[in-house]
Amino acid sequence: MPDEAQAANWPIVIENVLRRHPGVREAGVVHDGRGGLTALVVPADPYLDDVLGRATASSSAISKWRKACDLSQLTKEAASAPAGFNTMGWDSSYTRQPIPLEEMCEWLETTVADILQLAPKTAYEIGCGSGMLAMRIAPLCYRYVAADFSRVVLDRVRDQLQTVSTFAKSVELLERSADNFDGLSENSFNTVVLNSVVQYFPNLAYLTKVLQNAVNIVKPGGNVFVGDIRSLPLLPTFASSVELFQAADGVSVRELRDRIERRIQHDRELVISPTYFLSLKHRLPKISRVEIQLRRGRADNEMTRYRYNAILYVGQGTEAVNNVAFEDWNERELTLDEVRSELQQDPNEPIGFTCIRNARIEKDLAALATLTDADATSTALELRRESEHVIRGIHPQDFFNLGADDSGFRVFLSWAACRPDGSYDAVLVPTRAVDGKPSPAINWPEPQPSQFVHFANAPGQNKFRSELVERLLVHCKENLPEEMIPRDIVLVDTVVRTPEGNVDPGALLAARNASS
Amino acid sequence: MKEKAEIHEYVQSLLTNSGDDGPLSDHESLLLSGRLQSMDAVEIVMFLEENFGIDFSQIGFDKDQIDSVDAIYALTQTVTNRN
Repeated sequence: MPDEAQAANWPIVIENVLRRHPGVREAGVVHDGRGGLTALVVPADPYLDDVLGRATASSSAISKWRKACDLSQLTKEAASAPAGFNTMGWDSSYTRQPIPLEEMCEWLETTVADILQLAPKTAYEIGCGSGMLAMRIAPLCYRYVAADFSRVVLDRVRDQLQTVSTFAKSVELLERSADNFDGLSENSFNTVVLNSVVQYFPNLAYLTKVLQNAVNIVKPGGNVFVGDIRSLPLLPTFASSVELFQAADGVSVRELRDRIERRIQHDRELVISPTYFLSLKHRLPKISRVEIQLRRGRADNEMTRYRYNAILYVGQGTEAVNNVAFEDWNERELTLDEVRSELQQDPNEPIGFTCIRNARIEKDLAALATLTDADATSTALELRRESEHVIRGIHPQDFFNLGADDSGFRVFLSWAACRPDGSYDAVLVPTRAVDGKPSPAINWPEPQPSQFVHFANAPGQNKFRSELVERLLVHCKENLPEEMIPRDIVLVDTVVRTPEGNVDPGALLAARNASS
Repeated sequence: MKEKAEIHEYVQSLLTNSGDDGPLSDHESLLLSGRLQSMDAVEIVMFLEENFGIDFSQIGFDKDQIDSVDAIYALTQTVTNRN
């Protein structure tokens, strides 16, 4: 039997063995508290792509998404859709019917407003689709280049642009996939837009490659707007809310749990944590800061509830808003009126609130909590009844409205803290302190380290990931004595460590929970 | 009818791939019921293009056309007759 001192060294030895394998980019090993060892491994993407064949699957997935875009334009509805407002393919996950037009209208307006806040002058749009953004933003730019991988879709945009001749010359259309930056020079645009496209990227490595290039072509002082991103921390809540919505009254909790699990496992879209974008600040030196924005809007749908925007600021940042002391919202559970009075008391200082309960998703959170604790034989009907309760949170749009033109304050909301309950943080800044500048840099509360363990789901990649884990197990068996072979090998996006260099226990738990 | 069996088998494989081992009847709704997702619709379209030579850019596309094994089979017969 090894003594404790010997066993204490095992993690380092095992990590070094794992790092020798070409499929491993980084490894963190820890005693799991049950007499065994767990290895957290960050996979090497080239190995997954080239040796295990993930690249072929990725190409195939991209072709299928392109086909889906093409098909959406071949419907009767597409033929009669108004120029500049073609919402084909936008179906509700809940009802499986098209999302109501007025909600798509609001979605479009708020997206355009968010992008215009960034003052685009020369813009490159990746995945312009039917041109909904191009039509509205290009007129305000000197140059607007719109790219899409679907020729069918671009042909439609071209036809529609002809009918609106003032724009036709200012918009250049490019048929190309998102990762093709041929002919685009460094520092040649002040904004790159990727709105509602990253969920169709095959994996995170592809997204990183696209964003690296996007950041490269943006001038200092410019930004990359990534819009309508599906939130990973909120995926369990979203999946549960859809399944509960669709379940007949008599469906058991046991069956519901299975359905939710299947929905999450078989989701073909890329669902991303805000921590991924926050981590880019350290990986891409050109990025000066990252903002995680909640979506504006009064409509109640999966976009407003479960999606966010990430803005990567390139080059010079603005000066930090210093001394924003964040008060925990839950301590006093202030109403909006109370917040308004506080603002009036001292209109010269910014005020901040953290952990504001999010009224948009409170019901869904309650349903998930009830589902988690419920007896397996309870029914969907019982679950729905139990989660009807008073909503105590604040609707983000109500908070945004506090910053109306005449209020003297501007309001900024953030999901940077990445809490799985979807609670958000708010800062209200006297208008004169930000006047004339784009949004200020704010010392937003940071996420728990465990939120960095997984940056995204891995749609369509189970086969390759399982294969890698098998091979790593074989590698360990060939290179380590039996007692040092990890009981579990879990693939992660970051090996989160404590300041002392050990694997962070919260991170270990997060990794294990996600993999079970 | 051999074609219908082929279609049934193909749709069954799509279901199995998404973790759905339940029985499949020829007339039941696949997409509108949510049993299959939009990506599966693409797979069905590609299956029809490759195995039956159907060109949706010529005939237009509607989810209803492929919403059940029966509907898919009917589509292949219509197109064959047209050709």
